[in-house]
Amino acid sequence: MPPESVVTVRGLVKRFPAPSGPPIDVLAGADLEVRRGELVVVEGPSGSGKSTLLNVLGLLEDADAGEIRFGDRRVSELGRAAKSRERGRWLGFVFQSFLLLPALTALDNVLLAARYTTGVDAERRRRAMALLERFGVAERRDHHPAQMSGGEQQRVAFCRAVLNDPPLLLADEPTGNLDDVNGGAILAALRDRSRAGGAVIVVSHRPDAAQGADAVFTLRAGRLHRAGPLN
Amino acid sequence: MIKSLRGVLRGYLFTIAGIAIGVAGIVALGAMAERIVRFIEGGDRFVLGQISVAGRGMGMGAGFTAGGLLPAAAIEAIRKVDGVAGVQPQVLLPLNPSTSQFMTLTQELVIGMDLSVPSPNRHYRTLPVQSGRFLRQGDRRKAVVGASFAAARALAPGSRLELEGQPYEVVGVLERMLTAPDRFVVVSIEDAREQWVSKDRLLRTVLASGGVALRAQDLNTGAAVGWRDSEDPDVVARRIRDQVAGVNVQIPSELSSLLRQSTAFFSALLVGLGLLAFVIGGLSLANTVAAAVFERIRDFGVKRALGATDWQLGREILAEALAVTLSGGALGVVIALALGLGIDGWARRSGQQLFLFSPRLLSGTLVFALLLGAAAAAYAALRIVRLSPAEAIRRGSAA
Repeated sequence: MPPESVVTVRGLVKRFPAPSGPPIDVLAGADLEVRRGELVVVEGPSGSGKSTLLNVLGLLEDADAGEIRFGDRRVSELGRAAKSRERGRWLGFVFQSFLLLPALTALDNVLLAARYTTGVDAERRRRAMALLERFGVAERRDHHPAQMSGGEQQRVAFCRAVLNDPPLLLADEPTGNLDDVNGGAILAALRDRSRAGGAVIVVSHRPDAAQGADAVFTLRAGRLHRAGPLN
Repeated sequence: MIKSLRGVLRGYLFTIAGIAIGVAGIVALGAMAERIVRFIEGGDRFVLGQISVAGRGMGMGAGFTAGGLLPAAAIEAIRKVDGVAGVQPQVLLPLNPSTSQFMTLTQELVIGMDLSVPSPNRHYRTLPVQSGRFLRQGDRRKAVVGASFAAARALAPGSRLELEGQPYEVVGVLERMLTAPDRFVVVSIEDAREQWVSKDRLLRTVLASGGVALRAQDLNTGAAVGWRDSEDPDVVARRIRDQVAGVNVQIPSELSSLLRQSTAFFSALLVGLGLLAFVIGGLSLANTVAAAVFERIRDFGVKRALGATDWQLGREILAEALAVTLSGGALGVVIALALGLGIDGWARRSGQQLFLFSPRLLSGTLVFALLLGAAAAAYAALRIVRLSPAEAIRRGSAA
């Protein structure tokens, strides 16, 4: 069982070089803690650094300063290989543009989450099929992404994100490319995930994304400001 | 695994086609170079296997050496030179005398052999027969023909052939050697002497005048001379030149050098073409493989986000690149073979063969392609894993 605190961020700084002048601090000392069973929503205007926050939190990009802990393990200082392993062990990602691999079928895309971590065995296949069924895309198992609608692709991407039952789910504008019905279904799935004990961080523009959230943060000037809980 | 590999190969269809074209170019040009190399090597092997002697002079029909008539007395004198192991009188005539005698390596020749003497050529004790048989002592009006000569005239054992107005029965066809004997017609020396007299008006006039005492066995254009095992052929050749008057003797190493000089331009041209093919084909292949890997930069970013380590990803990229290169390489070889065999089928009607697809060429090209594909994939993989997963996804999505 992971410890109560799933992810803790202290003083996170991320700079990007500017075309001219000094570098831009997109994150300038962001702090955040998310516990098991919590759904946290991060809001902010476009270009405020929400996606960068998720990338750095998800070890997809290195921070320039600050500390990230998964449970009680400090992961921000790890090497590349160790970071890859920690990503596979702790994280699931849901991206705005789904990021399914076009050469793979829906089922193989879901199983990709297991390929580099636990390995693909019969149990993982059963679980992948169960997830596809639960999210209404089982009949698409042999279809390639180009043969599926956006809503179906995001549901497959969600199945991939939760296949390994990761303690922390990071969703970057998960409904950005979906209509209201499909977007609503994905948000409901994220809420279900936190209710089932997982920690979830969602970056979203949709007002309804914050419904049911345990905490809402606004990213301003590179720092996170608590704006909620809403309920 | 197989299903996934099939999926990968399907995704790389254009890459495979691109590699196939590059490899086909390398193999086709390489096969033409191999063909010329075999031709030159064959000639070299022949001249280094014997000492060629002709009578002194500049007349035609002297075969591999310029010179004149080599009478029986001179042949007898050569036999007595220390170190000589065997002398076979020969008559070498151009089939078509209007063709330049300086093109003896590529023109069609009639070679008359004294079959009572075993061939002294160390590299060609017998000429390899593909069908039928070789000539036997006492055969008259019988011929054994080279593979190109036979193909150009649709000859087979049992066919009839007319030489200087006389009918000959083809009793054998030589194996394709890709060198001079492919264009030979081999007959008994007695038959060749008759053809010589028939072809050479000057010789007929001299014989009819009775001014020169010539017997049939004096009508030789040259002789192939062998040497004893412990002897240096160049030393024996010089000894013949010193001890036998009125002969032109080719020192084997000098003749080999002359032959190489005369083909040096073609050799250099072919080596240049081959190198060019390897460089252009190689660059195209490396570029295709690297571009194919870079095209999937977003996929690799996603895989790293899902927990793939650099090592896992590098191994995967390398395996895919090798599978793609091998498929493209094999397809390229098939394309080159089909093209080459097709063209050779057409060229064979005139007795030519333009391509030689040797095992060393095919395996060498595939190994070259695989190494290059692996190097290009490794380069691309190193570039990709140096990026953060987020950057890889960003760049892949922007492309």
